[in-house]
Amino acid sequence: MNFKLFFKNRATELSLTIIFILGFALLVATSGGVLLTRQSLQGFLTYLAVPIVIGMAQMVVLSIGQMNLAVGAMGGVSAAMMAVLMADHHLPIWLALFIGFLSATTMGAINGALVVITQLNGFIITLGTMTILMGFQYRLVRTFTIDSYPKSLPDFGNKSIAGFPLILVIAIATSVLLSLFFSRTVAGRRVLATGGNQIAARLSGISNGRSVFIAHTLSGSLVGIAAIITISSLPGINRSIGGDWMLASFAAPIIGGVLMAGGTVAVFGTVVAAGVVRLVDIARAQYLLDPSIVSLTVGIVVLSTVALSEWRRRRSQRALEGKKVFG
Amino acid sequence: MSTVLKIRRVVSDQRVVLTVLTVGLFIYFGLKNSAFLSTDFVIYPLLRDGAVLTVIGLAQLCALSIGHLNLAVGRMAAVAALASGAAYQYWHLSLLPGLLIGLIVGASLGFVAGVIIVKSQVNAFIVTLAMDFALLGFVTFVYVTFTGSTAAFITKPEGMEFWRNTSLHQYCISGVCGPKVFPMMLIPAIVALILVGFLYAKTRLGRELLSTGSNLRAAKLSGVPVDRRVIMAHTFSGLLAALAGVMLAFTNGSFTASIGSQFMLPSFLGPVLGGTLLVGGSVQVLGTFIGTMLTLVIRQGLSVQGIGLETLNIALGLVLLTALSLGQIQKMFTAIRMRGRI
Repeated sequence: MNFKLFFKNRATELSLTIIFILGFALLVATSGGVLLTRQSLQGFLTYLAVPIVIGMAQMVVLSIGQMNLAVGAMGGVSAAMMAVLMADHHLPIWLALFIGFLSATTMGAINGALVVITQLNGFIITLGTMTILMGFQYRLVRTFTIDSYPKSLPDFGNKSIAGFPLILVIAIATSVLLSLFFSRTVAGRRVLATGGNQIAARLSGISNGRSVFIAHTLSGSLVGIAAIITISSLPGINRSIGGDWMLASFAAPIIGGVLMAGGTVAVFGTVVAAGVVRLVDIARAQYLLDPSIVSLTVGIVVLSTVALSEWRRRRSQRALEGKKVFG
Repeated sequence: MSTVLKIRRVVSDQRVVLTVLTVGLFIYFGLKNSAFLSTDFVIYPLLRDGAVLTVIGLAQLCALSIGHLNLAVGRMAAVAALASGAAYQYWHLSLLPGLLIGLIVGASLGFVAGVIIVKSQVNAFIVTLAMDFALLGFVTFVYVTFTGSTAAFITKPEGMEFWRNTSLHQYCISGVCGPKVFPMMLIPAIVALILVGFLYAKTRLGRELLSTGSNLRAAKLSGVPVDRRVIMAHTFSGLLAALAGVMLAFTNGSFTASIGSQFMLPSFLGPVLGGTLLVGGSVQVLGTFIGTMLTLVIRQGLSVQGIGLETLNIALGLVLLTALSLGQIQKMFTAIRMRGRI
């Protein structure tokens, strides 16, 4: 096994892991160990689950070189739908959650179908659907906070397996499945091929339309899972749910090493990057800084990551071309 | 024969269709509810908002003309308004110099975006989206740091009241006064429309921008300095976004972090409805104004009917998606017709 190549290919993931460990240690040291108490550790891990899953929902769409601006609105609508079904229509929990999940998947499928039919950039289509869905979310919950659903749901959200919150375990399990989808299945490889080079993919007999549709639908399903996690970990659902998901959904995959041009995924990187962003959030709370400092930091990091990764890609491309000429 | 052709051309012009649609909807809402025809409460604010949103539409149009998108229009507007507001609050500048500072800040933001796009060769919407995220935190951070809990610059420069509240009614030439519904705010918007229209229709620079948008390689091979044109288009986009931001701050009466947060959707609605192509190479400057007015008439008309915010959002999203799909269907039909001819 070539260790040098192994580390070189995983430079982003490794450095992120090191940053995560160092940052965590630093926060533990400066807080005088408060972060290590059971309660705050539980809080840290519980609120890590949603960023991981929405990061992956965005990553799937980034892998075909598009973006999904509607991640937050889709999550908001499906969480609101679950809450309304349980509180007003007294549906059993599993059925309500399942319907919410299906509706998020359907929204993703509609996005995908619209992108394929109109041949327009996914960005502008999801800008339109985002606006529509925000309207629906408001229509569902108005200005209320719905929290009158059965008590067993928050209990489910508070469960933990061997010290880890159950919902974090769900998020990790989802990411493992997603990683298997991209590395082991034909459909996953085809999606990546479309993202890497549409023309090459088409010439190799891959239906780009199908790949785009699959990616958007999968993104919808992941948003559905994020909505389930949200409703079981938060005390109530109102119209602000999903409103702050956009930056988080882009930050995790981009920092985690996913190229915005498409053709790559980095599931582990996305998960660790979500952890790093969560650390920034914790640090803000610990030092009593203004919330805007988080988006400022994360925004600058995202911007420089984009520029840096592109610069690196071009340098390696130039190096390859040089080899071709001189080798 | 030629008159028939002429009529057909006029009728098939998207701008004419849009104008008819806008006026028709306006009359429809007016007939349905006479409150809609109130000068002070509906039409004047409608035109005033229209002025701001037209300028932001033009900002997006500049980016669209070279086939790029500017997702940071709202935040560029916010930063420019922040700069102007600070200039009024701390340096006690008068109206025009303060506005100028805002415009310079906006243009330099656009310039930076353009340079990053050209140097890194990253897609424009990615660069501007990342920029949007960075500026979002920056704007809130600055407001909170400098003004504490109010989070706003509230110093009003001399003349601000005049721009936000008065109409052409105050100007009379030999006894004939201007209409009362014509807000002063429309004047900067009209100036912007004329300048941008002149740029794209009459100047060499405008044509070079359009050829960069329609085919980058061809433009490059014909000797157009495409990199510089890309940077320039983004600089114009930032400049117009800044103008819109300061105009909105004037309309609101204060400079806050929320300025520009609602700009993204309207910035696309105006140009796209007006017939500007998303792929670049073709712009409709006047169409942007008409498209913006159409969305505002729909919005205002529905809200006078007592229809809530949520339905408005749904309606506007549907309008955007329909307009985009219609363009696509039209293209498909043209392709079929062309094939038939061959």
